[in-house]
Amino acid sequence: MSDPRETVTHAGWLTPNPPTAQHPDAPLSLKRAPSGVDELVTEHLVLNMGPQHPSTHGVLRVLLELDGEEVVAGETVIGYLHRGIEKLAESRRYNAVGTLMDRGDYISGIMNELAFALATEKLLEVEVPRRAQWLRTLFSELNRLASHLVWYGTFGLDAGAMGQFLFAIRDRENLLDILEDVSGQRMMFNYVRPGGVVNDITTTAEAKIRKFLETFDMYLEEHDQLLGGNEIFQKRVKGVGVVDRATAIAFGMTGANLRASGVSFDVRRDRPYDAYPELDFDVPIAEAGDCWARYVVRMEEMRQSVRMVRQLMDGMPEGEHTAKVAKVLRPPAGETYAAVESPRGELGVYLVSDGSDTPYRMRYRPPALYALQLGEAILPGTLIADTVMILGSFDLVLGEIDR
Amino acid sequence: MRPDATRIAKALEAAAIRSAAVEEVDKLGVVCRVDAAELPGALAALKSCDHDFSFLADLFAIDTGEAVDVVYHLRSFARDEEMHVRMTLPYGGDLASVWELYPAALMAEREAAEMFGLTLSGHPNPKRLLTTDQVPPLLLKSVAIRGAEEVRNR
Repeated sequence: MSDPRETVTHAGWLTPNPPTAQHPDAPLSLKRAPSGVDELVTEHLVLNMGPQHPSTHGVLRVLLELDGEEVVAGETVIGYLHRGIEKLAESRRYNAVGTLMDRGDYISGIMNELAFALATEKLLEVEVPRRAQWLRTLFSELNRLASHLVWYGTFGLDAGAMGQFLFAIRDRENLLDILEDVSGQRMMFNYVRPGGVVNDITTTAEAKIRKFLETFDMYLEEHDQLLGGNEIFQKRVKGVGVVDRATAIAFGMTGANLRASGVSFDVRRDRPYDAYPELDFDVPIAEAGDCWARYVVRMEEMRQSVRMVRQLMDGMPEGEHTAKVAKVLRPPAGETYAAVESPRGELGVYLVSDGSDTPYRMRYRPPALYALQLGEAILPGTLIADTVMILGSFDLVLGEIDR
Repeated sequence: MRPDATRIAKALEAAAIRSAAVEEVDKLGVVCRVDAAELPGALAALKSCDHDFSFLADLFAIDTGEAVDVVYHLRSFARDEEMHVRMTLPYGGDLASVWELYPAALMAEREAAEMFGLTLSGHPNPKRLLTTDQVPPLLLKSVAIRGAEEVRNR
């Protein structure tokens, strides 16, 4: 042959020692080649879930370090909704702080206002009329139903279900209609004020509540069947995100999240306020501590809320809807703590007064913040899809976490 | 609800916490003041004593005008009692983390440090929690917010 060069291949073709995956100079594509499971070289991937992810329930960013689909480490980044409610409260008169509290946990405004009103009343030593207490409790429970319905709807959305969200929002619309009737607002109520409530219940609102109660029992069972009776949903939540009793206590969990881990503590029963001592209700608890337990506890809480609303409507005492309090409140110097059971847990207000017309310091205990840090701690070892379920099951509201 | 103040004082004395001063505060409950240096020891003693304060309900700070007070709100599920532990730090002081004792303190400590200009020591992730860099410690009384006077006089 006159020309010995290769015509189709190149020099080095089929050399006796081809480069292998173990060779230091081997190309990356060869290193990743699936020539055997043991030789598969993988890298961790950092995934930014949020801040605009639909299942973060607000503006939450979760930094996930992933090994395939498994979470190796997770870190939550919050503060996107920080409005400085605690600082703003220091420059507002006591009556004006309620508007700020509404904007904390915007899904359950009544209970936010109530926590601040209770703390202010403790400092002022005001006797709240019985009817005002009952009205507050009534609208707290209606607001709790509205809040739990939002959680129920979006928790299903996290799992990939759609129908229950529409039904939940339909019922919530009726509840917001009732709350709008008495307060004039659908979400930022500013209804509970130190000393009582701003308006007495209207006859139209009473009729609307009666009408709501006629059908809601049936709808609630329908909701539970629609999502909880769905086998696909059950498989997504059972045994996922297990929080044992000791961990729940160590991380400061409260509310339904704590009760789903087997600790029977409810502010309404154990630190009673307003009309709760006069009501007959059960505190549901579950032992498993997984997402399913949290689902079951919240659904049962809704049944108990309906039960309480019935008692409150039937036993509503006559009287004034507010105590006689000064227009500009000046509580005597002192410190106090008041807590309410919000849908997310123990919502507390630690109030420091220096005797002036504005709070000296107002600490807003955000129950969802404590749930979030536990969520962060239990993420390692779970799957990305479960991350969504775990964070969803804690019922996080970022407005309250960031304040 | 309210623990017996004398028993709390005894439990702290048994753990050799010298600076502890337990008192009953009207409208609030039992408050124990300790020196910053002895705070982790005091919390450990309260957690392990027979009152079993194993739940940290909240952790926050108050600018008293002279210094920063850090308040630990403890609860015992075993005996259904609550109390507050309080210590004083100078402005810009060092907040020693108690997260190993109470993991609940992880985020609350970060918030207290950033909002009151404290440094955090012994914390696994001593970053800011709610605000970004260059934001001053907002909850200090010396940091004024725009329009506060205007809103007040409205």
